[in-house]
Amino acid sequence: MISKVISGNEAVALGVKLSRVKVIAIYPITPQTYIIEELAAMRDKGELDAEVIRVESEHSAMAAVYGAASAGVRVYTATASQGLLYMHEMIWWVAGSRIPIVMTVGTRAVGAPWNIWNEHTDFMSERDSGWLMAFASTPQEALDLTIQAFKISEDERVFLPMMVGMDGFILSHTKTRVYIPSQEEVDSFLPSRKQPYVLDPEDPVDIGNMFQPIDYMKLRHSMHLAILNSKEVIREIGKEYEKKVVPVGSYSSLNESYKLDDAEYAIVSMGAWSLDAMQVVDELRNMGVKIGLYRIRYIRPWDEEDIKRKLGDKDGILVFDRSVSFGRGGHLYLELKATLPDVNIKGIVTGLGGVAIGKDVISSLTRKFIEGKTSDEWFYPSEVEKVELRNPRYIK
Amino acid sequence: MSLNYQFFPVSRPSEGGGGKTGNWRIVRPVVNLNKCIGCKACFLWCPENTIIPTDGKVSINYEYCKGCGVCSNVCPVKAISMVSEND
Repeated sequence: MISKVISGNEAVALGVKLSRVKVIAIYPITPQTYIIEELAAMRDKGELDAEVIRVESEHSAMAAVYGAASAGVRVYTATASQGLLYMHEMIWWVAGSRIPIVMTVGTRAVGAPWNIWNEHTDFMSERDSGWLMAFASTPQEALDLTIQAFKISEDERVFLPMMVGMDGFILSHTKTRVYIPSQEEVDSFLPSRKQPYVLDPEDPVDIGNMFQPIDYMKLRHSMHLAILNSKEVIREIGKEYEKKVVPVGSYSSLNESYKLDDAEYAIVSMGAWSLDAMQVVDELRNMGVKIGLYRIRYIRPWDEEDIKRKLGDKDGILVFDRSVSFGRGGHLYLELKATLPDVNIKGIVTGLGGVAIGKDVISSLTRKFIEGKTSDEWFYPSEVEKVELRNPRYIK
Repeated sequence: MSLNYQFFPVSRPSEGGGGKTGNWRIVRPVVNLNKCIGCKACFLWCPENTIIPTDGKVSINYEYCKGCGVCSNVCPVKAISMVSEND
Protein backbone atom coordinates (compact mmCIF):
# COMPACT_ATOMS: atom_id res chain seq x y z
CA MET A 1 0.00 0.00 0.00
CA ILE A 2 1.25 3.46 -0.91
CA SER A 3 -0.32 6.89 -0.46
CA LYS A 4 -0.51 9.52 -3.18
CA VAL A 5 -2.23 12.85 -3.75
CA ILE A 6 -4.73 12.12 -6.53
CA SER A 7 -8.22 13.12 -7.65
CA GLY A 8 -11.38 11.04 -7.22
CA ASN A 9 -11.34 10.16 -10.92
CA GLU A 10 -7.74 8.94 -10.74
CA ALA A 11 -8.57 6.95 -7.62
CA VAL A 12 -11.46 5.20 -9.37
CA ALA A 13 -9.34 4.45 -12.46
CA LEU A 14 -6.69 2.86 -10.23
CA GLY A 15 -9.37 0.82 -8.45
CA VAL A 16 -10.63 -0.46 -11.78
CA LYS A 17 -7.13 -1.38 -12.91
CA LEU A 18 -6.38 -3.19 -9.65
CA SER A 19 -9.64 -5.15 -10.02
CA ARG A 20 -8.26 -6.72 -13.22
CA VAL A 21 -11.14 -5.61 -15.42
CA LYS A 22 -11.10 -7.18 -18.88
CA VAL A 23 -13.48 -5.03 -20.93
CA ILE A 24 -14.10 -1.29 -20.59
CA ALA A 25 -16.54 0.70 -22.71
CA ILE A 26 -15.58 4.36 -22.90
CA TYR A 27 -17.65 7.38 -23.80
CA PRO A 28 -16.82 10.84 -22.49
CA ILE A 29 -19.18 12.92 -20.41
CA THR A 30 -18.25 15.55 -17.85
CA PRO A 31 -17.25 15.06 -15.05
CA GLN A 32 -16.29 11.37 -15.39
CA THR A 33 -14.34 11.70 -18.70
CA TYR A 34 -11.08 11.85 -16.79
CA ILE A 35 -11.64 8.27 -15.47
CA ILE A 36 -11.89 6.69 -18.88
CA GLU A 37 -9.05 8.84 -20.23
CA GLU A 38 -6.88 7.52 -17.40
CA LEU A 39 -7.90 3.94 -18.19
CA ALA A 40 -7.27 4.43 -21.92
CA ALA A 41 -3.81 5.85 -21.08
CA MET A 42 -3.05 2.86 -18.83
CA ARG A 43 -4.06 0.54 -21.66
CA ASP A 44 -1.86 2.50 -24.05
CA LYS A 45 1.15 2.18 -21.74
CA GLY A 46 0.55 -1.54 -21.33
CA GLU A 47 -0.27 -1.24 -17.61
CA LEU A 48 -3.84 -2.42 -18.09
CA ASP A 49 -4.63 -5.74 -19.72
CA ALA A 50 -8.14 -4.97 -20.97
CA GLU A 51 -10.08 -4.42 -24.17
CA VAL A 52 -11.06 -0.76 -24.38
CA ILE A 53 -14.10 -0.26 -26.63
CA ARG A 54 -14.81 3.20 -27.94
CA VAL A 55 -18.56 3.49 -28.38
CA GLU A 56 -20.77 6.19 -29.89
CA SER A 57 -23.11 6.76 -26.95
CA GLU A 58 -23.78 5.82 -23.33
CA HIS A 59 -26.58 3.51 -24.44
CA SER A 60 -24.00 1.60 -26.47
CA ALA A 61 -21.47 1.76 -23.62
CA MET A 62 -23.83 -0.13 -21.34
CA ALA A 63 -24.83 -2.49 -24.17
CA ALA A 64 -21.16 -3.28 -24.87
CA VAL A 65 -20.28 -4.12 -21.27
CA TYR A 66 -23.57 -6.01 -20.90
CA GLY A 67 -22.54 -8.27 -23.80
CA ALA A 68 -19.01 -8.78 -22.50
CA ALA A 69 -20.22 -9.47 -18.95
CA SER A 70 -22.75 -11.99 -20.29
CA ALA A 71 -19.80 -13.83 -21.80
CA GLY A 72 -18.27 -13.99 -18.32
CA VAL A 73 -15.58 -11.33 -18.04
CA ARG A 74 -15.24 -8.50 -15.53
CA VAL A 75 -16.34 -5.19 -17.09
CA TYR A 76 -16.52 -1.51 -16.26
CA THR A 77 -17.91 1.75 -17.55
CA ALA A 78 -18.57 5.23 -16.17
CA THR A 79 -21.07 7.96 -16.88
CA ALA A 80 -22.91 11.01 -15.53
CA SER A 81 -25.98 13.18 -15.95
CA GLN A 82 -27.51 13.08 -19.47
CA GLY A 83 -25.36 10.03 -20.23
CA LEU A 84 -26.84 8.08 -17.35
CA LEU A 85 -30.31 9.03 -18.51
CA TYR A 86 -29.44 8.03 -22.05
CA MET A 87 -28.37 4.54 -20.88
CA HIS A 88 -31.47 4.19 -18.67
CA GLU A 89 -33.00 1.49 -20.86
CA MET A 90 -29.84 -0.65 -20.83
CA ILE A 91 -29.49 -0.16 -17.06
CA TRP A 92 -32.79 -2.00 -16.63
CA TRP A 93 -31.79 -4.72 -19.10
CA VAL A 94 -28.59 -5.44 -17.19
CA ALA A 95 -30.33 -5.61 -13.81
CA GLY A 96 -33.20 -7.75 -15.12
CA SER A 97 -30.70 -10.10 -16.75
CA ARG A 98 -28.94 -10.51 -13.37
CA ILE A 99 -25.56 -9.58 -14.87
CA PRO A 100 -22.90 -8.23 -12.48
CA ILE A 101 -21.43 -4.95 -13.77
CA VAL A 102 -19.74 -2.06 -11.99
CA MET A 103 -20.21 1.54 -13.10
CA THR A 104 -19.14 4.89 -11.67
CA VAL A 105 -21.49 7.85 -11.79
CA GLY A 106 -19.79 11.24 -11.41
CA THR A 107 -22.99 12.92 -10.34
CA ARG A 108 -24.05 16.07 -12.14
CA ALA A 109 -27.16 18.17 -12.78
CA VAL A 110 -29.55 17.14 -15.53
CA GLY A 111 -30.73 19.44 -18.33
CA ALA A 112 -32.66 21.45 -19.27
CA PRO A 113 -31.09 23.94 -18.81
CA TRP A 114 -27.47 22.97 -19.44
CA ASN A 115 -25.53 22.76 -16.22
CA ILE A 116 -22.36 20.80 -15.70
CA TRP A 117 -22.09 21.24 -11.91
CA ASN A 118 -22.77 18.87 -9.08
CA GLU A 119 -26.12 17.43 -8.01
CA HIS A 120 -27.43 13.95 -7.12
CA THR A 121 -30.69 13.87 -9.08
CA ASP A 122 -29.18 11.89 -11.99
CA PHE A 123 -27.97 9.16 -9.62
CA MET A 124 -31.20 9.08 -7.61
CA SER A 125 -33.30 8.73 -10.75
CA GLU A 126 -31.94 5.16 -11.12
CA ARG A 127 -33.02 4.20 -7.62
CA ASP A 128 -35.69 1.76 -8.77
CA SER A 129 -33.77 0.00 -11.53
CA GLY A 130 -32.55 -3.02 -9.54
CA TRP A 131 -28.91 -1.91 -9.21
CA LEU A 132 -27.05 -1.78 -5.94
CA MET A 133 -26.17 1.85 -5.30
CA ALA A 134 -23.33 3.13 -3.16
CA PHE A 135 -22.20 6.73 -2.80
CA ALA A 136 -18.68 7.83 -1.90
CA SER A 137 -17.83 10.82 0.29
CA THR A 138 -14.07 10.97 -0.39
CA PRO A 139 -11.75 9.91 -3.25
CA GLN A 140 -10.47 7.18 -0.90
CA GLU A 141 -13.97 5.81 -0.48
CA ALA A 142 -14.55 6.03 -4.25
CA LEU A 143 -11.54 3.75 -4.78
CA ASP A 144 -12.48 1.39 -1.94
CA LEU A 145 -16.13 1.10 -2.95
CA THR A 146 -15.17 0.45 -6.59
CA ILE A 147 -13.01 -2.54 -5.66
CA GLN A 148 -15.62 -3.84 -3.19
CA ALA A 149 -18.38 -3.33 -5.78
CA PHE A 150 -16.90 -6.01 -8.05
CA LYS A 151 -16.92 -8.55 -5.25
CA ILE A 152 -20.40 -7.60 -3.97
CA SER A 153 -21.95 -7.53 -7.43
CA GLU A 154 -20.45 -10.91 -8.40
CA ASP A 155 -21.38 -12.63 -5.12
CA GLU A 156 -23.72 -15.58 -5.71
CA ARG A 157 -26.15 -14.19 -3.12
CA VAL A 158 -26.44 -10.94 -5.08
CA PHE A 159 -25.76 -11.27 -8.85
CA LEU A 160 -26.88 -7.74 -9.58
CA PRO A 161 -25.02 -4.79 -11.09
CA MET A 162 -23.72 -2.02 -8.83
CA MET A 163 -23.13 1.68 -9.39
CA VAL A 164 -20.87 3.82 -7.26
CA GLY A 165 -21.74 7.51 -7.12
CA MET A 166 -19.22 10.26 -6.55
CA ASP A 167 -19.88 14.01 -6.38
CA GLY A 168 -18.97 15.51 -9.75
CA PHE A 169 -16.04 17.97 -9.51
CA ILE A 170 -16.16 18.11 -5.71
CA LEU A 171 -14.67 14.61 -5.56
CA SER A 172 -13.95 13.79 -9.18
CA HIS A 173 -11.58 16.70 -9.76
CA THR A 174 -10.27 17.48 -6.29
CA LYS A 175 -6.95 16.02 -5.30
CA THR A 176 -6.39 14.62 -1.87
CA ARG A 177 -4.32 11.95 -0.20
CA VAL A 178 -5.45 8.44 -1.12
CA TYR A 179 -4.08 5.11 0.07
CA ILE A 180 -3.65 2.86 -2.94
CA PRO A 181 -3.50 -0.87 -2.29
CA SER A 182 -0.96 -3.06 -4.06
CA GLN A 183 -1.99 -5.54 -6.74
CA GLU A 184 -1.23 -8.43 -4.35
CA GLU A 185 -3.51 -6.97 -1.68
CA VAL A 186 -6.40 -6.59 -4.13
CA ASP A 187 -5.73 -10.06 -5.60
CA SER A 188 -5.97 -11.61 -2.14
CA PHE A 189 -9.39 -9.98 -1.74
CA LEU A 190 -10.94 -10.19 -5.19
CA PRO A 191 -11.18 -13.61 -6.83
CA SER A 192 -11.70 -14.04 -10.55
CA ARG A 193 -15.26 -13.74 -11.78
CA LYS A 194 -17.67 -16.67 -11.56
CA GLN A 195 -21.10 -16.77 -13.15
CA PRO A 196 -23.76 -19.51 -13.17
CA TYR A 197 -24.48 -19.02 -16.88
CA VAL A 198 -22.50 -17.45 -19.71
CA LEU A 199 -22.90 -17.00 -23.43
CA ASP A 200 -21.00 -20.01 -24.73
CA PRO A 201 -21.45 -21.71 -28.14
CA GLU A 202 -20.66 -25.08 -26.51
CA ASP A 203 -23.53 -24.73 -24.07
CA PRO A 204 -25.96 -22.15 -25.47
CA VAL A 205 -28.47 -20.24 -23.31
CA ASP A 206 -30.92 -17.43 -23.97
CA ILE A 207 -30.59 -14.51 -21.54
CA GLY A 208 -33.48 -12.12 -21.01
CA ASN A 209 -35.84 -13.68 -23.52
CA MET A 210 -39.66 -13.53 -23.42
CA PHE A 211 -41.07 -14.42 -19.99
CA GLN A 212 -44.60 -15.42 -19.08
CA PRO A 213 -46.21 -13.11 -16.46
CA ILE A 214 -45.74 -15.47 -13.50
CA ASP A 215 -42.05 -16.09 -14.27
CA TYR A 216 -41.50 -12.38 -14.81
CA MET A 217 -42.97 -11.62 -11.41
CA LYS A 218 -40.88 -14.37 -9.78
CA LEU A 219 -37.76 -12.81 -11.31
CA ARG A 220 -38.70 -9.38 -9.96
CA HIS A 221 -39.27 -10.92 -6.53
CA SER A 222 -35.87 -12.64 -6.66
CA MET A 223 -34.22 -9.28 -7.45
CA HIS A 224 -35.98 -7.71 -4.49
CA LEU A 225 -34.80 -10.50 -2.19
CA ALA A 226 -31.26 -10.35 -3.60
CA ILE A 227 -31.09 -6.63 -2.73
CA LEU A 228 -32.41 -7.32 0.78
CA ASN A 229 -29.88 -10.13 1.28
CA SER A 230 -27.04 -8.02 -0.12
CA LYS A 231 -26.89 -6.10 3.20
CA GLU A 232 -25.25 -9.06 4.89
CA VAL A 233 -22.94 -9.56 1.91
CA ILE A 234 -21.85 -5.88 1.94
CA ARG A 235 -21.03 -5.96 5.66
CA GLU A 236 -19.10 -9.21 5.28
CA ILE A 237 -17.14 -8.02 2.24
CA GLY A 238 -16.53 -4.61 3.85
CA LYS A 239 -14.93 -6.25 6.88
CA GLU A 240 -12.78 -8.46 4.67
CA TYR A 241 -11.69 -5.39 2.67
CA GLU A 242 -10.62 -3.56 5.81
CA LYS A 243 -8.61 -6.58 6.88
CA LYS A 244 -6.95 -7.51 3.59
CA VAL A 245 -6.75 -4.34 1.51
CA VAL A 246 -6.93 -0.81 2.94
CA PRO A 247 -7.19 -0.53 6.71
CA VAL A 248 -8.00 3.21 6.65
CA GLY A 249 -11.78 3.23 6.14
CA SER A 250 -14.65 1.69 8.02
CA TYR A 251 -16.75 -0.65 5.92
CA SER A 252 -18.26 -3.00 8.48
CA SER A 253 -21.61 -1.22 8.20
CA LEU A 254 -23.56 0.05 5.22
CA ASN A 255 -23.89 3.60 6.48
CA GLU A 256 -21.73 5.62 8.82
CA SER A 257 -22.70 7.14 12.16
CA TYR A 258 -20.84 10.01 13.82
CA LYS A 259 -21.45 10.94 17.47
CA LEU A 260 -24.98 9.55 17.29
CA ASP A 261 -25.18 7.45 20.46
CA ASP A 262 -26.17 10.16 22.93
CA ALA A 263 -27.46 12.63 20.34
CA GLU A 264 -30.87 14.28 20.58
CA TYR A 265 -30.70 15.64 17.05
CA ALA A 266 -29.26 14.21 13.89
CA ILE A 267 -28.21 15.39 10.45
CA VAL A 268 -28.63 12.91 7.59
CA SER A 269 -26.71 13.41 4.36
CA MET A 270 -24.93 11.61 1.55
CA GLY A 271 -21.75 12.35 -0.41
CA ALA A 272 -18.97 14.91 -0.07
CA TRP A 273 -20.80 17.51 2.01
CA SER A 274 -21.20 14.93 4.79
CA LEU A 275 -17.66 15.86 5.83
CA ASP A 276 -18.77 19.48 6.21
CA ALA A 277 -21.73 18.20 8.21
CA MET A 278 -19.30 16.27 10.40
CA GLN A 279 -17.49 19.53 11.22
CA VAL A 280 -20.83 21.17 11.97
CA VAL A 281 -21.57 18.38 14.43
CA ASP A 282 -18.25 19.05 16.19
CA GLU A 283 -18.93 22.79 16.24
CA LEU A 284 -22.44 22.38 17.69
CA ARG A 285 -21.22 19.80 20.20
CA ASN A 286 -18.74 22.43 21.45
CA MET A 287 -21.72 24.74 21.95
CA GLY A 288 -23.43 22.08 24.04
CA VAL A 289 -25.90 20.79 21.44
CA LYS A 290 -26.23 17.00 21.47
CA ILE A 291 -26.15 16.27 17.77
CA GLY A 292 -24.77 13.55 15.49
CA LEU A 293 -24.49 12.69 11.83
CA TYR A 294 -25.83 9.69 9.93
CA ARG A 295 -24.15 9.39 6.56
CA ILE A 296 -25.95 7.34 3.94
CA ARG A 297 -23.46 5.28 1.93
CA TYR A 298 -25.91 2.80 0.43
CA ILE A 299 -29.22 3.89 -1.10
CA ARG A 300 -29.83 0.35 -2.32
CA PRO A 301 -29.86 -1.75 -0.25
CA TRP A 302 -31.58 0.58 2.22
CA ASP A 303 -30.49 -0.35 5.75
CA GLU A 304 -33.89 0.06 7.39
CA GLU A 305 -33.01 -1.81 10.61
CA ASP A 306 -29.88 0.25 11.24
CA ILE A 307 -31.69 3.53 10.56
CA LYS A 308 -34.48 2.57 12.97
CA ARG A 309 -31.95 1.56 15.61
CA LYS A 310 -29.73 4.63 15.29
CA LEU A 311 -32.26 7.35 14.51
CA GLY A 312 -35.59 6.05 15.86
CA ASP A 313 -35.24 7.77 19.25
CA LYS A 314 -34.10 11.23 18.10
CA ASP A 315 -36.01 14.44 18.90
CA GLY A 316 -35.39 15.84 15.45
CA ILE A 317 -33.69 14.84 12.21
CA LEU A 318 -32.62 17.24 9.48
CA VAL A 319 -32.05 15.65 6.06
CA PHE A 320 -29.90 17.38 3.45
CA ASP A 321 -30.77 16.40 -0.10
CA ARG A 322 -28.85 17.33 -3.22
CA SER A 323 -31.61 15.82 -5.37
CA VAL A 324 -35.31 16.34 -5.77
CA SER A 325 -38.44 14.50 -6.74
CA PHE A 326 -40.44 17.48 -7.98
CA GLY A 327 -43.56 18.16 -5.98
CA ARG A 328 -42.52 15.78 -3.18
CA GLY A 329 -39.06 16.74 -1.91
CA GLY A 330 -35.61 15.25 -1.59
CA HIS A 331 -35.15 11.52 -2.14
CA LEU A 332 -33.33 10.86 1.13
CA TYR A 333 -36.00 12.79 3.04
CA LEU A 334 -38.75 10.67 1.48
CA GLU A 335 -36.88 7.43 2.25
CA LEU A 336 -36.22 8.51 5.85
CA LYS A 337 -39.81 9.60 6.37
CA ALA A 338 -41.05 6.23 5.09
CA THR A 339 -38.66 4.41 7.45
CA LEU A 340 -39.40 6.56 10.53
CA PRO A 341 -42.97 7.87 10.11
CA ASP A 342 -43.33 8.96 13.75
CA VAL A 343 -40.08 10.91 14.11
CA ASN A 344 -39.82 14.69 13.62
CA ILE A 345 -37.98 14.79 10.28
CA LYS A 346 -37.39 17.86 8.16
CA GLY A 347 -35.90 17.74 4.69
CA ILE A 348 -34.03 20.50 2.91
CA VAL A 349 -33.34 20.44 -0.80
CA THR A 350 -30.26 22.48 -1.60
CA GLY A 351 -27.01 22.48 -3.56
CA LEU A 352 -28.74 21.71 -6.88
CA GLY A 353 -26.86 22.47 -10.08
CA GLY A 354 -23.65 23.25 -8.21
CA VAL A 355 -24.99 25.78 -5.68
CA ALA A 356 -22.10 25.89 -3.22
CA ILE A 357 -23.14 24.69 0.21
CA GLY A 358 -20.38 24.79 2.78
CA LYS A 359 -20.04 24.24 6.48
CA ASP A 360 -21.50 27.67 7.39
CA VAL A 361 -24.74 27.12 5.50
CA ILE A 362 -25.19 23.62 6.94
CA SER A 363 -24.48 25.02 10.39
CA SER A 364 -26.96 27.90 10.17
CA LEU A 365 -29.70 25.68 8.70
CA THR A 366 -29.14 23.10 11.44
CA ARG A 367 -29.23 25.71 14.20
CA LYS A 368 -32.47 27.12 12.78
CA PHE A 369 -33.94 23.61 12.72
CA ILE A 370 -32.99 22.95 16.34
CA GLU A 371 -34.53 26.28 17.38
CA GLY A 372 -37.71 25.23 15.55
CA LYS A 373 -37.48 28.10 13.08
CA THR A 374 -37.05 26.18 9.83
CA SER A 375 -40.04 26.61 7.58
CA ASP A 376 -38.59 26.35 4.07
CA GLU A 377 -37.94 23.04 2.44
CA TRP A 378 -35.71 24.55 -0.22
CA PHE A 379 -32.64 26.65 0.34
CA TYR A 380 -30.48 28.69 -2.02
CA PRO A 381 -28.13 31.29 -0.63
CA SER A 382 -28.89 34.51 -2.47
CA GLU A 383 -31.56 36.38 -4.34
CA VAL A 384 -32.26 35.05 -7.82
CA GLU A 385 -33.04 37.51 -10.56
CA LYS A 386 -36.34 36.60 -12.12
CA VAL A 387 -36.61 36.29 -15.87
CA GLU A 388 -39.13 38.78 -17.18
CA LEU A 389 -41.99 36.95 -18.81
CA ARG A 390 -43.43 38.14 -22.08
CA ASN A 391 -47.12 38.73 -22.39
CA PRO A 392 -48.66 35.55 -23.76
CA ARG A 393 -49.00 35.71 -27.50
CA TYR A 394 -51.60 33.81 -29.42
CA ILE A 395 -50.63 31.89 -32.49
CA LYS A 396 -53.12 32.64 -35.24
CA MET B 1 -28.13 -17.82 3.81
CA SER B 2 -30.00 -20.15 1.46
CA LEU B 3 -29.92 -19.34 -2.22
CA ASN B 4 -33.44 -20.64 -2.88
CA TYR B 5 -34.65 -17.15 -3.67
CA GLN B 6 -32.29 -16.74 -6.62
CA PHE B 7 -33.96 -16.91 -10.04
CA PHE B 8 -32.45 -15.98 -13.39
CA PRO B 9 -33.97 -14.99 -16.74
CA VAL B 10 -32.24 -17.81 -18.59
CA SER B 11 -33.62 -20.52 -20.82
CA ARG B 12 -32.23 -23.13 -23.19
CA PRO B 13 -32.76 -22.53 -26.90
CA SER B 14 -34.73 -25.33 -28.52
CA GLU B 15 -36.75 -26.12 -31.61
CA GLY B 16 -40.33 -24.87 -31.58
CA GLY B 17 -43.06 -27.37 -32.49
CA GLY B 18 -44.70 -24.78 -34.73
CA GLY B 19 -41.46 -23.87 -36.46
CA LYS B 20 -41.06 -26.86 -38.77
CA THR B 21 -40.35 -25.81 -42.31
CA GLY B 22 -42.74 -28.06 -44.21
CA ASN B 23 -42.34 -28.35 -47.97
CA TRP B 24 -42.08 -24.74 -49.06
CA ARG B 25 -38.27 -24.25 -48.89
CA ILE B 26 -36.76 -23.24 -52.26
CA VAL B 27 -33.04 -23.75 -51.55
CA ARG B 28 -31.14 -25.62 -48.87
CA PRO B 29 -27.60 -25.25 -47.55
CA VAL B 30 -25.19 -28.09 -48.16
CA VAL B 31 -21.91 -28.26 -46.22
CA ASN B 32 -18.74 -29.34 -47.96
CA LEU B 33 -17.07 -31.13 -45.05
CA ASN B 34 -13.71 -31.11 -46.79
CA LYS B 35 -13.73 -27.31 -46.76
CA CYS B 36 -15.40 -26.80 -43.34
CA ILE B 37 -12.90 -25.56 -40.72
CA GLY B 38 -15.33 -25.86 -37.80
CA CYS B 39 -15.27 -22.16 -36.89
CA LYS B 40 -19.01 -22.21 -36.02
CA ALA B 41 -19.72 -18.83 -37.62
CA CYS B 42 -22.79 -20.43 -39.28
CA PHE B 43 -23.91 -21.79 -35.89
CA LEU B 44 -23.66 -18.35 -34.28
CA TRP B 45 -25.54 -16.60 -37.06
CA CYS B 46 -28.28 -19.17 -37.87
CA PRO B 47 -31.57 -17.49 -36.83
CA GLU B 48 -33.33 -20.85 -36.53
CA ASN B 49 -30.78 -22.77 -34.44
CA THR B 50 -30.56 -25.47 -37.11
CA ILE B 51 -26.78 -25.77 -37.34
CA ILE B 52 -25.45 -28.57 -35.16
CA PRO B 53 -21.72 -28.57 -34.31
CA THR B 54 -20.59 -32.19 -34.76
CA ASP B 55 -17.07 -33.60 -34.38
CA GLY B 56 -15.34 -30.28 -35.10
CA LYS B 57 -17.50 -29.72 -38.21
CA VAL B 58 -21.17 -28.76 -38.64
CA SER B 59 -24.34 -30.48 -39.82
CA ILE B 60 -27.77 -29.06 -40.55
CA ASN B 61 -31.22 -29.87 -39.19
CA TYR B 62 -33.25 -29.66 -42.42
CA GLU B 63 -36.54 -30.18 -40.61
CA TYR B 64 -36.31 -26.60 -39.30
CA CYS B 65 -33.93 -24.92 -41.79
CA LYS B 66 -35.78 -22.21 -43.79
CA GLY B 67 -33.10 -21.91 -46.46
CA CYS B 68 -32.39 -18.23 -45.74
CA GLY B 69 -28.73 -18.52 -46.75
CA VAL B 70 -27.26 -16.62 -43.80
CA CYS B 71 -24.92 -19.54 -43.02
CA SER B 72 -23.66 -19.63 -46.57
CA ASN B 73 -23.00 -15.87 -46.51
CA VAL B 74 -21.08 -15.83 -43.23
CA CYS B 75 -18.94 -18.92 -43.92
CA PRO B 76 -15.36 -17.58 -44.21
CA VAL B 77 -14.17 -20.49 -46.38
CA LYS B 78 -17.26 -20.76 -48.62
CA ALA B 79 -17.93 -24.31 -47.45
CA ILE B 80 -21.72 -23.92 -47.55
CA SER B 81 -23.48 -23.71 -50.89
CA MET B 82 -27.18 -23.11 -51.44
CA VAL B 83 -28.65 -25.84 -53.59
CA SER B 84 -32.12 -25.90 -55.22
CA GLU B 85 -34.62 -28.20 -53.52
CA ASN B 86 -35.39 -29.69 -56.96
CA ASP B 87 -31.80 -30.82 -57.56
